[in-house]
Amino acid sequence: MTTTAPVRPAPTDTAPLRRRGLRFEGRLLTPGVLLLAPLSLLPFGFIVVMSLSRVHLLGGVRFDFAGLTNWVRVFSDPDVGMAWLRSLAYFVLTVGLEMLLGVVFALCLWRVLRGRNTALSLLLLPMFVAPVFVGLLGRFLTDSTFGLYAWVLRHLGIETDVLGSQGTAFAAVVLMDVWEWTPLITMIALAGLSSVPLAIREAAALDGTSGWQLLRYVVLPSISSVLLVALLIRSMDAIRYFDIIWVTTNGGPADATKIVPVRLYEVAFRFFDLGYAAAIGLLMLLVSIVVARAFVRLLDRRGPAR
Amino acid sequence: MTATRPPTTFGPGPAGRRPTALEAANPLDRGTLRTRLANRLVLAVGLAWTLVPLLWMLLSSFKSKTEVTAPTPSLWFTPTLDNYVGLFSGANNLTPYLVHSVLAAGLSAVLATALGALAGYGLAHTRMRGKKHLSFWIISTRMAPIAAVVLPLFLIFRGLGLIDSIAGLVLAYLTFDLPFAIWLMSAFFADLPPALEESALVEGATRWQAYWHVVLPLTRSGLVTTFVLCLVFAWNDYAFALVFSGPSSQTLPMAASQLVTQTGIDWGQLCAIGVFVVVPMMLAGLAVRRWLVTGLTLGAVTGE
Repeated sequence: MTTTAPVRPAPTDTAPLRRRGLRFEGRLLTPGVLLLAPLSLLPFGFIVVMSLSRVHLLGGVRFDFAGLTNWVRVFSDPDVGMAWLRSLAYFVLTVGLEMLLGVVFALCLWRVLRGRNTALSLLLLPMFVAPVFVGLLGRFLTDSTFGLYAWVLRHLGIETDVLGSQGTAFAAVVLMDVWEWTPLITMIALAGLSSVPLAIREAAALDGTSGWQLLRYVVLPSISSVLLVALLIRSMDAIRYFDIIWVTTNGGPADATKIVPVRLYEVAFRFFDLGYAAAIGLLMLLVSIVVARAFVRLLDRRGPAR
Repeated sequence: MTATRPPTTFGPGPAGRRPTALEAANPLDRGTLRTRLANRLVLAVGLAWTLVPLLWMLLSSFKSKTEVTAPTPSLWFTPTLDNYVGLFSGANNLTPYLVHSVLAAGLSAVLATALGALAGYGLAHTRMRGKKHLSFWIISTRMAPIAAVVLPLFLIFRGLGLIDSIAGLVLAYLTFDLPFAIWLMSAFFADLPPALEESALVEGATRWQAYWHVVLPLTRSGLVTTFVLCLVFAWNDYAFALVFSGPSSQTLPMAASQLVTQTGIDWGQLCAIGVFVVVPMMLAGLAVRRWLVTGLTLGAVTGE
């Protein structure tokens, strides 16, 4: 990995390590780490303290130690419990649909030889749309008086205010997320497919295996680790973002789309119950750390790169 | 799924030929008409599902106020540039928002890429103890839920007077752009063959010279990819701007959400802003498409 002993080494490299301070790698790491530390550790310290306090904002920020009150509330509040369940449903539906559709699109693209790059470029576009605009565009398209999709639904005999009733609103925010992030899975799966060795495909084709058998026993197993990366990457981001819901339904109607981060924003910046919000936030952080752990484990197993 | 055609030659053939050996060897494509049609159909549906909303936004941005909210969607109308003209004149002048967005997203992306290019090399090649913990700390900072970061930063920024300032937004964006840049650049550096750098050192270059004149130019595409993705993340942010920005720092996504009022929404104008905000990021993103898989999987998957 690193360089072997240079002929005319820089002064620090001749010195025994750790006696003359940092090596070259360490010196390059320093500025980034020095900036990242306060940006990462300071908020972490704050959120831990906040979760154990009552936070007063008026007349200067003040923390009153509150013991585990906030934590007891997190685990006994039925609203938060429901928000976690909704988050789980939202997570399973969005990530599940994205994985399914993403792999299907990738398999289709893989079979196309001419125009594959153009089709892929077009399919990728939603990823670059700011989530706010995904949400606003969703509102525009489903507006019950002039929305394009509402108009199509009306002609199919479905007359409803999509974002106005609980079931359809939930489905709509799920589909908006699916619209934006399926391309990511398509792209990753296609990269995996492109590395399926031609020899395996030929051998299987010569054996006269049927298409489904090939898919099941040859193609999918050989891209399984890439798909796992896709799943973990998508999971981490699914826990992070909530902009789409914030600008479309704001958690409504009747809390139908109030997933955990939306609930947190409401508790924090509408009710200004910052201590309680901090406890909710720490729990979310814990979930994302578990997923990140799995991601790093996977990388460690796959290669010596890191 | 009938007769198997054993492949004899390889490589995609010239346009208009019968299915080539490569296609025949492709397990999902035996060239039967039915499967090929099904394949095309799924792709067509996928493309329509993807592109209709975007095209509709583009189309609506050229419609007049009455046409945008017409109960029957129309494809034929007299296009008008009013919505775009309205972006830079009158009550909804977008210029300050644009300046804020460019400054906040641009500065955070430049800083993240620069520091990431240094620290990424360090992370990729260091052999210090605790390297694993360091890299795990970096990735978990990147992956922390935005809501859990905004909350404590809100109090910290209040204390430091950073609410409603570009500096505050830049710092807020660095909380996700910087760990992303460090991690991704380290993946790009780790992929480089060490031979070139070694030969530079053998020629007598210092570590810094080898890094600056040999290693860094070799990862030019990595640098550009990192910069573009950092820019896109920050440019598209809404959750941080919602809490941290005020009249003197509001960004373009905030401008869009402010057009949504109780009295009604000017959808034509909103679509115009949408086109204006979205198109540059699409172009930037597609410009680095070759490295996009590597970038968005944080180096876990390499493409093409």
